[in-house]
Amino acid sequence: MSRKQDKLAQQVLGDRTLNKKKLSTRIWNNRGYYLMFLPVFIFVLIIYYWPMLGIRYSFYSYKLRDIHWVGLDNFKALFGDKNFWRAFKNTLELSITKLLLNTFAAVLISVFINEMANLIMKKTVQTIIYLPHFMSYAVVAAIFTLFLSPSSTGFVNETLKHWGVIDKSIDFLHNKALWRPIFYLINMWKETGWGTVIFLATLSGINPELYEAADIDGATRLQKVRYITFPALGNTIIVVLILNLAKVLNMFEPVFVLYNTRVLDVSNVISTYIYNKTFLTPIPDYGYSTAVGLFKSTVGAALMLACNEASKKVRGRGII
Amino acid sequence: MRKKIVSAVVTAAMLAALLSGCGGSAQAPAAGSEAAPAAGGESAAPAGGDTAASGDFQLDRINVIVDGTVNATVDAGQKEFVEQWEAAVSEKIGHPIKLNITQLDHSDYSGTVSRTLTTGAPGDADYPDALIMSASMLRQYQTTGLLWNLASAYDNAEFQSRVVYPEVNANLKMEDGKQYGFSPTYGNGCVTYIKQSWLDKAGVKIDDIKTFDDYYNLLKKYSDGKTYGVIAAGYGKLDEAPFINYMPEWWQGAYPSFYQKKDGTWVDGFTEQATIDALARLHQGYVDGVIDPDTEEAGTKQAREKYFSNEQGTSELAFTYWAGTWLRTLTDNMSKNEVDDDLGDKRLVQLPPVKEIKDTWGGYLNREAPVWVITDDADGSDAREQAIFDALFETMLDGDKVQTLWTYGAEGLHWSTAAESFTTNPDDPEKKKDYEYKDGEFHLRQSPNDPDSIWKKNHIDPVLCIAPLTNGFVDEDPLVEEGNKFFLANCVDAPAAASSDTLTANNEDLTTTKTGLMNKAVTGEITPEEAVQTYIDDFGSVSDTIVSELNAQK
Repeated sequence: MSRKQDKLAQQVLGDRTLNKKKLSTRIWNNRGYYLMFLPVFIFVLIIYYWPMLGIRYSFYSYKLRDIHWVGLDNFKALFGDKNFWRAFKNTLELSITKLLLNTFAAVLISVFINEMANLIMKKTVQTIIYLPHFMSYAVVAAIFTLFLSPSSTGFVNETLKHWGVIDKSIDFLHNKALWRPIFYLINMWKETGWGTVIFLATLSGINPELYEAADIDGATRLQKVRYITFPALGNTIIVVLILNLAKVLNMFEPVFVLYNTRVLDVSNVISTYIYNKTFLTPIPDYGYSTAVGLFKSTVGAALMLACNEASKKVRGRGII
Repeated sequence: MRKKIVSAVVTAAMLAALLSGCGGSAQAPAAGSEAAPAAGGESAAPAGGDTAASGDFQLDRINVIVDGTVNATVDAGQKEFVEQWEAAVSEKIGHPIKLNITQLDHSDYSGTVSRTLTTGAPGDADYPDALIMSASMLRQYQTTGLLWNLASAYDNAEFQSRVVYPEVNANLKMEDGKQYGFSPTYGNGCVTYIKQSWLDKAGVKIDDIKTFDDYYNLLKKYSDGKTYGVIAAGYGKLDEAPFINYMPEWWQGAYPSFYQKKDGTWVDGFTEQATIDALARLHQGYVDGVIDPDTEEAGTKQAREKYFSNEQGTSELAFTYWAGTWLRTLTDNMSKNEVDDDLGDKRLVQLPPVKEIKDTWGGYLNREAPVWVITDDADGSDAREQAIFDALFETMLDGDKVQTLWTYGAEGLHWSTAAESFTTNPDDPEKKKDYEYKDGEFHLRQSPNDPDSIWKKNHIDPVLCIAPLTNGFVDEDPLVEEGNKFFLANCVDAPAAASSDTLTANNEDLTTTKTGLMNKAVTGEITPEEAVQTYIDDFGSVSDTIVSELNAQK
């Protein structure tokens, strides 16, 4: 803090801000606040930190009630499992592509909605595109599985056949080449609408005088979008990307409800890998599952710190 | 000062709420128990301490975990069943006893059981004293030390003199004579059902279908891209023994898992030529549109619902499913959907095993029976465990009151011997059916959760039971009887489930990989030979280790 800021703070807040007393004294002086904070602190310790003691089991073999120390064996097995590395690669590819596509689509739709002059139309479109967000992934998967089924009950295949576009059903969700594009489409359909909320909020905050000035300068509608709207969204886009990048390893539900054994090569992600190892194994080794979880958390933490640094560079301040 | 007092009061209140929230549930008694368990939450707690001698041991509560095979669910009269069980068993053993049933989701049963047995310990409020396990689960758990060896209790059980299928439990005995599971019934299995109306349209009689080719040609007649020959829950259900029983005509003599040959040697069936041949047949069926493509992802519920759906224009001719009671259930569901109403109970016809099945296995596969097990508290005394056996298993086959409860459910709710009359589907003139019974006549009543259908059974199938009822209570549904008779006349025992340390550790990988390869081969993504070769390349050494471990167990 500069000397000038110091002086200003001293004038405004007096001794309360620039207290140079011992920590213990300061705590005692503010004991009322600390006392009020205590339940929250205990709650955080119990709910968030106490379970973390379970991390130690990543160094144990933990099958039923047989628990014994195995050192780094779980990690050796993990790093030697090609299925794990495939899941790791898939997680990054699926998450990052999904994030970029969803953000891009949300920006585009936000701009379209923002440009709509008819208020009723605007509200109607917003409502329609928000709705899929409130459906659970299980329901979404059931709907699309039925729609895309290769059997005679599959709406898409039967329609395409009826129109003469294809003569044989396409097995959309079991085809390795098609699974990912369909996965991205389904996710865009479900989440893009909701993703527009934050961008529409930003757009509503753009100073109208900028548009008026552009009108006076004779800018066309497209030029106003190009030179005013998009630049105004830039900072928000970066924040959204950075915040979401830290969560890329957490993908589970969208994949779990749509993947199948024929497309595992392109769909199995770390969370589904852990699920399979833990819940589909008759007598699972919880030590191994914990090791995978610990690795995932470590990478997630590293990504978050990297994002924080990126945020500092881009925005001048971090996100944590 | 006032602020500090307020903050102290608020803090105290929040702390109290937090701490009471943390500790509160531990003191709560389990549902169904009369009082909170003693310190430590002993479930099957002895009145006079756990080390009491067998004769002194007084069991006052039993916790059981069951799957969906207990039909008296919470919504279908479980409360009445438990009340009558407690009254009847208390009378038999001479002191009050409580039964606490935890019924788990059928689809994730083994996973939930695994987690319960991992995180709990005997004496915990929710830890099971007894539970149901599949044959595969039994093989995996019987060497863990968590289960009680009930061989002696079973051999000395009172019901032994009435056992008509001794081989069911004899097969559960290990080489060293130990026995960890008890099965009150035969295993049951699947038979192939064919819609009579479709058969009539094709001008074919069921007796004309003797070989796989006969069967295939019939299926092909209905495979026009809208309707299909057959649907099943997967081309093979490789996560559930006996793996091939939903598509037996296609798998024939193949067994895509570890099994014991006639000479006692264990082999990995997925690597055998028979599996390649089976995959080739399934692939041909897929290409010809004989097999509904929904088979790949269908669960049993989806498959059967499509089969008896009112949308018969997109349905199938054949469906292989469980024998006996399910013949009635499938027929009733077709009736509900107004499918082939003119045929009544003759809507479905059972296909005798085709020649290729007879020549290899000998008939449809009778799966290894699910079992009941007792958890061992490892206290060095058998008193608790014997008491559980006596109160739960011994009474389960008493031939009379308690066995009737497990077989048909609660008196007055699920069944009755009182004179009465009732009507199902009273508002539908076409389906309306009147029932009238005289006093003393045993009969099943309307299902508590579906008054338009008649209750079928509770847990034990009366026809499959190893020691039949002695009170003469027989459900005389001719269709169920016909189904059971047909299966018993056309079945053979399925191969015993395999279990070894390496198999348990790799089971998920093996199942997922084999299922993926099977699906790819059936749909033509790879050839059957490539599927098997890929499996050998990826899991050959694991497979060899498992086979070695299994053969070393002999």
